[in-house]
Amino acid sequence: MTQTMSAQLNNIHPFAQYADRLLAGKTLLPDTPDNVLEVMGALDSYGIVLDRYSKNLIHIADHQFLVLFPVFKYFDGTINPAKMWQHFCHDRINYEYAEYTMKAMMWHGGGGLDAYLDTDEFRQNCERAIAAKIKFNPVLQLFHRTFPEFLIEQIRQLSYYSGLGQFWRVMSDIFTSLADRYRRGEIKHIPQIVDHIKNGLVADAARPITYGVEIGGKTYDILPASAGLTFLPDTAIPYVESIFFRGTPFLGTVSYNAQAQQISPDKSRFTYGALYADPMPIGGSGIPPTLLMQDMFRHLPDYLETYYLDSVRGLGDVRVKICASFQRSMFCVTNAALLGLLPKGADATAPEDIAANREFLLGWMDRLASSQLEQVQI
Amino acid sequence: MLSALLLIPLAGALMLVCWPAKITSEQARKFSIACLVINLLVSLYLLSQFDLAVTGLQFQESIPWLEDLGLGYELGIDGLSLPLLIINSLLSLVSVYASDADIRRPRLYYFLLLTITFAVAGAFVSQNLLLFFIFYELELIPLYLLIAIWGGPQRGYAATKFLIYTAISGILILASFLGLVWLSGSPSFDYSPTMAHGLPWIQQSVLLAALLIGFGIKIPLFPLHTWLPDAHVQASTPVSVLLAGVLLKLGTYGLFRFGVCTFSEVWVDLAPYLAWWAVASVLYGSLAAIAQTDMKKMVAYSSVGHMGYVLLAASASNPLSFVGTVFQMVSHGFISALLFLVVGVVYKKTGTRDLTVLSGLLNPERGLPLMGSVMVLAVMASAGIPGMVGFISEFIVYRGSFVSFAPQTLLCLLGSGLTAVYFLLLVNRAFFGRLTVTDKQATAQDVVLPVVTWQDRIPALALVGLLFVFGLSPSWMTRWIEPTTTAMYEAMPIKLELSSAHLATPLVNTSIDLAICSDGDCAL
Repeated sequence: MTQTMSAQLNNIHPFAQYADRLLAGKTLLPDTPDNVLEVMGALDSYGIVLDRYSKNLIHIADHQFLVLFPVFKYFDGTINPAKMWQHFCHDRINYEYAEYTMKAMMWHGGGGLDAYLDTDEFRQNCERAIAAKIKFNPVLQLFHRTFPEFLIEQIRQLSYYSGLGQFWRVMSDIFTSLADRYRRGEIKHIPQIVDHIKNGLVADAARPITYGVEIGGKTYDILPASAGLTFLPDTAIPYVESIFFRGTPFLGTVSYNAQAQQISPDKSRFTYGALYADPMPIGGSGIPPTLLMQDMFRHLPDYLETYYLDSVRGLGDVRVKICASFQRSMFCVTNAALLGLLPKGADATAPEDIAANREFLLGWMDRLASSQLEQVQI
Repeated sequence: MLSALLLIPLAGALMLVCWPAKITSEQARKFSIACLVINLLVSLYLLSQFDLAVTGLQFQESIPWLEDLGLGYELGIDGLSLPLLIINSLLSLVSVYASDADIRRPRLYYFLLLTITFAVAGAFVSQNLLLFFIFYELELIPLYLLIAIWGGPQRGYAATKFLIYTAISGILILASFLGLVWLSGSPSFDYSPTMAHGLPWIQQSVLLAALLIGFGIKIPLFPLHTWLPDAHVQASTPVSVLLAGVLLKLGTYGLFRFGVCTFSEVWVDLAPYLAWWAVASVLYGSLAAIAQTDMKKMVAYSSVGHMGYVLLAASASNPLSFVGTVFQMVSHGFISALLFLVVGVVYKKTGTRDLTVLSGLLNPERGLPLMGSVMVLAVMASAGIPGMVGFISEFIVYRGSFVSFAPQTLLCLLGSGLTAVYFLLLVNRAFFGRLTVTDKQATAQDVVLPVVTWQDRIPALALVGLLFVFGLSPSWMTRWIEPTTTAMYEAMPIKLELSSAHLATPLVNTSIDLAICSDGDCAL
């Protein structure tokens, strides 16, 4: 009886068509020339930006370890008047966005990385590194004795700096190689884009996530290889969950009344992520995602800029346009991730395997029901 | 010199229609702009030459014309007409500048606009009643045609309604002028503030009543206002700018010059009732504005309310309130012109003025952020926020009228509060929230409004500048106005400076010239 009801519900699921579309080898985003151009342009610039974000995050994790006032953390170790002038003129990448993403990921947690940060082993790793770091700093020693959790929490955050940096390193390489293939004319359709991303995710699924800092010529492991943290389950999936789905409600775009529980007290029910964002206010209101749009605009490929210039407002609303294109590209990434996570694999042919895959996809369709999936079909 | 102000737009208008070669819309617009820039420069030169020490008429010109009819070419300006003359020159330029570059039948269109400039300037400088009436009537036909030809879908109805109302207004004014000249035994229609002195009270009151209704239609005052919202809604933006900014002022100017000064004895008697009429106009205009869902209608009803302040100040009849009367005319000219300009831009870009549909126009990327900000400033000025010209004008009006009519003033203050209510409703609905210009959600997802050009922005920004200039330094305005209005007050044979608690005391038969203010609060 229950199975019958479930089957009936599955058939009448309003988003069942998208699950069926995925099972039929098609994509969440319609395969149109405009979509290919927008998604490729967005991923091209996003790949370049992610490269910079990734390097900076790893630089902060490695070289700004327990620096309580990291004034030059965005300088990647090169500090000179010319670079400082560029920085003050805001001729630079908005690394703040990378940190914002890191904090959102840390706040939502999930995956093996989050779990490992609460283990005794991690605490011991931290204590060793802290002892080495503050050996000649009596002020910090006193501070650490008074507030023993503070520096450890700082290291948890630095672990996320490193974890996200390593995740984005892989994603940047995937997008950059995809952009190269597009320029060579090898990419013509959305399914090819999804396939490329999926292959990249699968290829690096088991890539270890580790983090160690060098203090006084000796390396101290914070996230050792023995912790068994890997790319896909411990950074990629938590990232997708935190950034694509949950996100955080941005001040300035919608007036949320938290006292009236317009923001769910249960953060697992958050739907403020990239797949849900309304590009109109998100793209241009000066909130963290707008910073990403600014960075992507700096590295926008010519073909996408030309495409935008042909529209009514030209580059006048370019950040909103980039936001919309970026969102379309993120549906491709989500598509690739879903295919990669199918319990019976994307190549399943047996009816019961397909049913299991369908059941799995319908669970995700529940979550996508309030996303912008319908809007990107237009 | 004053003739130059009439001849420049008139010559421009005639050259436009008589130009032998084909003329494009853009060429006609540029030519009209050139004429009106010269016109504005001449006005400003006039301003620079205006002698503040002289309280009477200046730059007078007198040429006999049809002496048998009593019609003479009598021109002159004082501190009452000078600011309005400048506003006419400025807003005419603004309205031509804000006209579409590809307007249909450009020759006729710009001819009519220039003719209105000519006629309105003529009315403001006329010192002959018949000449004033001719100019007053002359402005009706171009305006009728501008609404009837370039207006919205219901333009025929609105234009005809406007014509009927204002024609009746003209008839009543003409009747009053004829009566005044005949009864006073004046040999001509040359205007003098003392023309009605000596006439029996009843004759003066009948003549004043005709003027009140005649100019009351033009101002417009409740319940004579019903032509205005229709005319505004159907008129194009430049015409609305002229209508609200300048043409309504003909009514208040006429009432103030020919009503208050000429029939001051009756005016003082009727003042409390006129103040209540002002209250009715203010409250009705404000409450009706709250109920509107069309932006332009809301601004039009706001005009009805705000013009009520002019009547309130005029009825209070003291030196400060007289300054307030003129200041409010000028202030309303700037603010209403700006409001209609912005509403026009919103309509041009979104295709609607419906407040139930519009939303989020302040969107920085795809909306109208600069025009939205200008709109916020304009509504702040209209609601009397300090630092802007609306505050100064309303403060002077209230400060002046409170000593004469406290309850009426307090009720009109409520109208100022209601201004904030309906304009905040407007701003909140149309400019905040998610950008939407249609009620169809599917298309609302992809709203991309056309870019606002500098042609749309420049006149609005210029008016915003003036809101602040005269809001922060009101003396730059009052210095022109005050000597004349004070002299007008001094010339009144009977003064009204009573608090409302003592209004029961009949003033009409009083033998003294100055009724002493009982609460001692009349040191204005």
